[in-house]
Amino acid sequence: MATLTVPVEKRKKIQEQEALITGAEAIAIACKLANVDVVTAYPIRPYDTVMQYISQLVADGEMDCEYIVAEGEHSQFEIVKHASVCGARVFCGSSGVGWMYAMEALTVSPALRVPMVCMVGNRALDDPGAFGVEHNDALAVRDLGWLLTWVDSAQEALDTALIAYRVAEDQRILVPLAISCDGAFLTHSQGLVKVPTPEQVKKFLPPYNRGNLLLHPDNVISVAPQANEDWVMEIRRQNYAITEITCDVIREVYAEFEEIFGRKYGNPFFEEYMTEDADVVLLGMGTMSTPVKVAIRKLREQGQKVGFVRLRWFRPFAGPEIAKSLERFKAIGVIDRDFSFGSPNLSGVVATEVRSAMYTGAATRPPVLGFICGLGGREVTVPDVETMTEKVFQAAKGKAQPLTQWIGLRS
Amino acid sequence: MSTFVEEKPTQNLEAFHGVKKVPHEEYYTSGHRTCQACESAQIMKLMAKAAGPRTVVLGSTGCMYVANTSYYATPWGVPWMHTQLGSSGSAALGAAAAFRVQMRKGAMKDEPINVIAFCGDGGGADMGLGAISATLTHPDYNLLILMYDNESYANTDIQISGTSPYGANTSFSTPGKVKRIMNHRWKKNVAPLMMVGHPTCKYVGTISTSYPLQAMNAVRKALSVGGPAFIHCLNPCPKGWDFDPVLSFELGELAVNTGIWPLYEIEKGKLKLYGKTKDIANGRFKRLPVREYLLKQGRFAHFVDEDIEFFQSKIDEMWNKWLVPGVIPLQKDLED
Amino acid sequence: MGQLFAVEIIYRGVFQKTLAKNITRGIVLAARNQGKLGISFGRYGDSPERNGIPAKSFAIVANDEQTLEAGMAQYEPKQVDVTVVLDDTLCKGAESWAWYGLQPVHHALKPGGTLVVVSLEDKPALLKTIHKREEPYKLGIVKGAASFSGMWVFKDDHTDVRVLGVIAKALPELFSFKSVEDYINDKLKSGLKATSARNAYDRFAAVEVKPGEGNPEKLFNYNLPGWQKMRDGVSIAGQPQGGPYADPVTGNVGGFRPARNELFKKYSTRTMRPVVNFKTCTKCTLCWLNCPDASFDVTPDGTYDVNLESCCGCGVCEQVCPVKDCVSMVNESEFHDNHSQWEAFKKDQDAYLKWLETTIQKAEPIGERAHGFRYRGQYQEEVPEALEIAARG
Repeated sequence: MATLTVPVEKRKKIQEQEALITGAEAIAIACKLANVDVVTAYPIRPYDTVMQYISQLVADGEMDCEYIVAEGEHSQFEIVKHASVCGARVFCGSSGVGWMYAMEALTVSPALRVPMVCMVGNRALDDPGAFGVEHNDALAVRDLGWLLTWVDSAQEALDTALIAYRVAEDQRILVPLAISCDGAFLTHSQGLVKVPTPEQVKKFLPPYNRGNLLLHPDNVISVAPQANEDWVMEIRRQNYAITEITCDVIREVYAEFEEIFGRKYGNPFFEEYMTEDADVVLLGMGTMSTPVKVAIRKLREQGQKVGFVRLRWFRPFAGPEIAKSLERFKAIGVIDRDFSFGSPNLSGVVATEVRSAMYTGAATRPPVLGFICGLGGREVTVPDVETMTEKVFQAAKGKAQPLTQWIGLRS
Repeated sequence: MSTFVEEKPTQNLEAFHGVKKVPHEEYYTSGHRTCQACESAQIMKLMAKAAGPRTVVLGSTGCMYVANTSYYATPWGVPWMHTQLGSSGSAALGAAAAFRVQMRKGAMKDEPINVIAFCGDGGGADMGLGAISATLTHPDYNLLILMYDNESYANTDIQISGTSPYGANTSFSTPGKVKRIMNHRWKKNVAPLMMVGHPTCKYVGTISTSYPLQAMNAVRKALSVGGPAFIHCLNPCPKGWDFDPVLSFELGELAVNTGIWPLYEIEKGKLKLYGKTKDIANGRFKRLPVREYLLKQGRFAHFVDEDIEFFQSKIDEMWNKWLVPGVIPLQKDLED
Repeated sequence: MGQLFAVEIIYRGVFQKTLAKNITRGIVLAARNQGKLGISFGRYGDSPERNGIPAKSFAIVANDEQTLEAGMAQYEPKQVDVTVVLDDTLCKGAESWAWYGLQPVHHALKPGGTLVVVSLEDKPALLKTIHKREEPYKLGIVKGAASFSGMWVFKDDHTDVRVLGVIAKALPELFSFKSVEDYINDKLKSGLKATSARNAYDRFAAVEVKPGEGNPEKLFNYNLPGWQKMRDGVSIAGQPQGGPYADPVTGNVGGFRPARNELFKKYSTRTMRPVVNFKTCTKCTLCWLNCPDASFDVTPDGTYDVNLESCCGCGVCEQVCPVKDCVSMVNESEFHDNHSQWEAFKKDQDAYLKWLETTIQKAEPIGERAHGFRYRGQYQEEVPEALEIAARG
């Protein structure tokens, strides 16, 4: 959760309203504030309440956009992809296998420089059927050039949606961005949110301008002619150049956000909770932060010095920064709300990436344990966190621990 | 708030009255490496010429993507963007929606912009059928979807699609020692499917590159009528159909003259046949036997008389038994 | 490391696809009869083939696996021992359809290698077209018209076996004629074909081509830019608009010439080109309207001039033209330039019309030079003539 650090006098001048809304509705409101032009909707749970909210906003005249109900996710994402290239600010979203159905559109959007902002209501890929949260859906695009971020509160969802448009549409970036909200836990539960004013948003978010990449009769270009082995490597290299500067742009934007909205997120890439004097830390993404923080406070009362690093941005993965932060600790436990069958050490995606960042960026080699927990909507409970913390402490003491363990499971 | 449908006013692209009135400007020129006598390239040329410079073209995967545009070379003199194989419907909708909203919000000059998405028979009649269907239900977006039909997935070296003719040789329907006919599916009746299935769609037409003036005028009418429109063009393909390129134009005429490819348009619910098709329907022209058309193409070289007779019987059925000859295949229940 | 052999077959895409594959497979299987190992494959950038666009098929053979692997380390061999050209008009250029610039037909031929051309012309005529080069090579002819078929029906006129026989003569270290004969008898089971191969083998003679001998034309080429110069978002500039142009004699400006793409020229796609009688033209527009390549410039006179940068020689214009002998397709080999015919006509009408008449008479009429299936039974009718040439060698 972000802390309001703006002094009282200034605070009074900001006419922010406070609302009790879900993560999905928060994002809908952000789209309204951002004056989104084209929205495409298709029903799949648990993301689609965002589209229900937007429908109401349009019908009530609070939002002016083209609101198109597609006949499938593939079309849904293709429509906004092309609308974006024709100059429209777009919003889209999906969950689970719906996101997978759109994969053809998702794979090409980074190369085409389409800054679509999407909400992924993280959902297990079914079969096996479940609407519950799992992160594999959004993670599926992690190699393709998408920006990926996980939020853990409705406030953060709203703020991040505004930040997302600012980052994605930055002319140095211009790639698609997905905001992941844990299904049910964030999409459907209501929290108190400070809603910014349109004036603040106008100051923060310039109009979308894709320059000479715009598809319009005044700009005769051919976009994506068929490229062969003479050209594809150079084209991919252009996307690589974007990744080299994305972290800097994100830092810039968060600093601007703080100045205009008064809410300070500090380090954009991850949040640190009670890490200052911790012996060991847990690391994870999304709404697991709540049971984790509650468990940590409980353990601290018992004298155990444990902290939590909550990753906000998965892409770009701020490897050097994460490594520098984690190298202080005696052991680390990464909680993956995803699976990566057949991976090195059979760990989840986040654990594998953390280990990779530490191998090159950390001065020390503390044990990094991987935990698979909370799949398919199963809660990450406070006792689960206590169990995981105990294992991390064991590892810190030098007692060998398996590199991947499944937590909260019936055997 | 007035009507349920917020139709955006369109434009009036007048028909070209004769070949001499056809403008010289080309919006699809050299820079493509299609086969010799590629009639699919020909319809691209005619379509772009008919639409003019205030046009944006979305091209889905197929020969008219791969053979037309190699990176760094393009034949397109209007803005063009590639889209996915099954996305012609969604690409057109996205572009039309983007222009509409930006004009409404004052972010873009308010003018008619032609949005045309093209697809091959593979991308349109097979994979992208759902997306096209959805797009044709949106009455307030002006756009045209043009399907160029060379009766195969041509770019992948010729395989059957939903519009490939019965028995045609393709690399997925090779005649062999035991099975002479591997593809016994009949060609999909796409234009009527679009017309009957989407009652608010104001224009559906079939065209042929062997009738270039009518083809261009169909495009102009489709871009003027308001709302989404659909055009289906038959394009003889010298590679896939296996014939000497010099015969490309002639085969287009034969397809019409045998009754295999009927030419018509449906504008706001009214059906109008044209060209030789009209003469066939009102008995002024006797359909040529399909044999004349089939045996000029290597893809039917394996046909025996039984196959040709079957093919002929299906075409005869089209003209003698269908509720609307050449167009709608329902059979009326006769009361006798 | 043992000796590596590479043979490339340059052919007209689609029309000679089956023929080329028959030859490269035959090479590998004939070499197998001598215990050698080999692979046969098509040029990477060629697929999917397009009518008329040059394509290549390769056969690589070695005595042992390691040497064969060395030959496979790069996808396309850069140095072949023998280049076989199945259509002599391909001597104008052999680049694949995704290539930029013009590739001479002997581009991959090693110094001292042999260029084999299937042709009815003689060597001096061919050397007017084949580009000159620094390294010496040998040139030999297999007498015959280009053998064209299509995707589904094959014209079995013995061209493939004749070429195999010729390769045995040009590159005896690869395989002997006996290996070729054994392959034909065992796998193709045709004594007649073995005889055709033998005749070709006996009659084949290659002559030295000296450095610098050949067509002096400068090859157009393009330097591909690096990623920092390339536009973002996989986008490129579109085609500009064309406009009217000037009569070379009167200076009157009129008509319309579409902009021609700088990167793709169709020079090496043609086996024939149209020649136009601007005097008898009735300005009906049909050639211009029905050309899929927008190859016709509308002249200031209102007639239609073929622009050879984009003409691929399909022949539709001749078919749709309503005036007899107004547009005529003639053998591309007749020409060694791509100059405007209308300009020549305007500069000297009588000379042009005389040239037109003799050209139409001299260059093979469309029946022979055109390619592909026109009616069922056609190939069976054409094969005897081809076999007669094969028998004579």
